[in-house]
Amino acid sequence: MIPLGFILADLRRLWLGALAIVLLIALATALGMAVQLQERALRLGSARAADRFDIVVGAAGSETQLVLSAVFLQAAPLPLMDGSVLKALAEDPRVAYAAPVGFGDSFEGQPIVGTIAAFAREAGGGALSEGQVFDALDEAVVGARVPLALGGVIKPMHGLPGEGGHTHSEIAYRVVGRMAPTGTPWDRAILVPIEAVWRLHGMGDAHAWPRRVEGEAEHAHGLGGDSDHLGSPWPQATPGVPAVIVKARTIADAYRLRAQYRKPPTLAVFPAEVLVRLYGTLGDARLLLGGIALGAQALVIVAVMLVSAVHLAQRRAQIAALRALGAPRRAIFALVWSEVMALVGAGAMLGAGLGFLAARMVATQLTRQSGIVLPVEFAPEDLVFLALLLGVAALAAMVPAVMAYRQPATIGLSA
Amino acid sequence: MPDLSLEAVRVSFPGLAAPALDIPALHVAAGTRLAVTGPSGAGKTTLINLIVGLTRPDSGRIAWGETDLASLGEGRRDRFRAAHVGLVMQNFHLFAGLSALDNVLLPARFWSLRLDPALKARALALLERVGVRRPRQKVETLSRGEMQRVAVARAVLMRPDVLVADEPTASLDAEAGDAVAGLLCALAREQHATLIVVTHDARLVARMARHLTLVDGRIVADVPVARADGAAEAAQ
Ligand SMILES: Nc1ncnc2c1ncn2[C@@H]1O[C@H](COP(=O)(O)OP(=O)(O)OP(=O)(O)O)[C@@H](O)[C@H]1O
Ligand SMILES: [Mg+2]
Repeated sequence: MIPLGFILADLRRLWLGALAIVLLIALATALGMAVQLQERALRLGSARAADRFDIVVGAAGSETQLVLSAVFLQAAPLPLMDGSVLKALAEDPRVAYAAPVGFGDSFEGQPIVGTIAAFAREAGGGALSEGQVFDALDEAVVGARVPLALGGVIKPMHGLPGEGGHTHSEIAYRVVGRMAPTGTPWDRAILVPIEAVWRLHGMGDAHAWPRRVEGEAEHAHGLGGDSDHLGSPWPQATPGVPAVIVKARTIADAYRLRAQYRKPPTLAVFPAEVLVRLYGTLGDARLLLGGIALGAQALVIVAVMLVSAVHLAQRRAQIAALRALGAPRRAIFALVWSEVMALVGAGAMLGAGLGFLAARMVATQLTRQSGIVLPVEFAPEDLVFLALLLGVAALAAMVPAVMAYRQPATIGLSA
Repeated sequence: MPDLSLEAVRVSFPGLAAPALDIPALHVAAGTRLAVTGPSGAGKTTLINLIVGLTRPDSGRIAWGETDLASLGEGRRDRFRAAHVGLVMQNFHLFAGLSALDNVLLPARFWSLRLDPALKARALALLERVGVRRPRQKVETLSRGEMQRVAVARAVLMRPDVLVADEPTASLDAEAGDAVAGLLCALAREQHATLIVVTHDARLVARMARHLTLVDGRIVADVPVARADGAAEAAQ
């Protein structure tokens, strides 16, 4: 038996060294933990974000760029695809809906995306959380995290978020609905009719844009009225769009559609597929980081064992005295082993907590920047990681413990 | 309470020409108060290590009654020591951070998870007996004299058959040393334990019944202590 009070008194007496060891182990553990948690959060978060989009069709070019722009709304100019593609997709019987996504403007750093009303509903999971979908050129539906109330006014700024540019004075959108939260970049998007984006940029029947007279309010309702309707069926001369998000009726349809639109001049991808490829690249970075974290842990454990071995040399007298007083050898072994493990265990627990907090902080920051909600959560895998760490430590702690066990006990040693 | 007998005991250390200890025969009757003296390096501590089972001789028998420590393995000797031996060392070897009481109880804690309440009561009584007034005081804050008294209480806690002390008074001033010496003798008598004391302290030797002198690992004198200072004995 090892008296707990004795261990506690021992650790309290050596608190500075004990604290240093606990912190060292905690930091090494936190590093590994944070890398692991963050990577999983990124994977889960982006997979969930891509989940809502079956197929993305765009002009031939980079698949990754297409997904990053259309799904994650990363500001980057995409080549335009001929408008006939949108029309064909919209009228394809295999398609549930084909939503164009048109970029070009922003409002206070939030992207304005031109699309169709159905998508404003579908992208948010089938229902709006507030208000209704847009039904006129100057109406907008905002993402869940856009800080605008219903009735709020949006003056679009030309250029992608962060690019700067001039304010369009021709139009101001009015917020008529809010999407349900999705945990994706779309939570920060402002959805407007694609026709409005076209007109604003002089595409399609731009002439139909009514010139503004002096003043402000007069544009509000007159705009939508003079254009026939919004969305599909699209006119013969549909203007070009950078990307179309397609929901197929069946899985088989999805594969057929992707095959059909894969050939130039278009490009069709399953976002999940592109993400997996991206993870492959990310995975290398993670492996490297994970390796560094593991190396740090191994070094720390070796350091801890060295320290305890050196420390043990200074405790020979104490251990000899315990033996002289009748402590059995296994108690000495258990004593040294428990003390090392108490420190390693405390460090590992603290490190897991610190790693979690660090991953959470990074995730929160990323969410603020991208809108992608990154779920930082523990998984069985993390327990395995901790168990592995403790297992290695338990083995390593045997070294000083065995040294103590084998140390000859004589009174003469006492000094 | 068994007698101690050594037969043909030899201990050599590598690098030393002569054996550190060479005792053809020694018999110590149960209950004896034995003083061991001799110059530094004479083998006194070596002898003590043998008779409490911390080390084994190169050859010979070290028997407590029927139990020959020289033939027991480390685990059995550990158990023997825990059950039969109480030890007091020159540098006390109390454990900082623990109270006087916890120090006294420490040896018992190594053998059982739950502490017998009777044992705790005994520890408190012993601390009172040796004159440590505040059993909950952290041991590192005690005076040196008090520390050694705590060590004495610890040594007798498990009712040992033999009390062994290596220079118990050497790091104390005369007054504290005297008090500790008196306690050792009194407790050994009360507990009916054999008392074996290694010492340079003439006043401690005077309290003993038998006086063994070691030189270069050999017994050069083995005499009863003169009753001249029997008065001191009686005065206790
Ligand atoms: N582990 C050891 N290895 C080598 N030599 C040793 C060892 N232990 C003791 N010795 C030697 O054996 C001899 C007897 O030592 P011991 O400690 O028994 O002396 P002592 O009588 O207790 O001396 P002191 O009064 O200084 O404590 C000494 O010469 C010592 O150097
Ligand atoms: Mg000695």
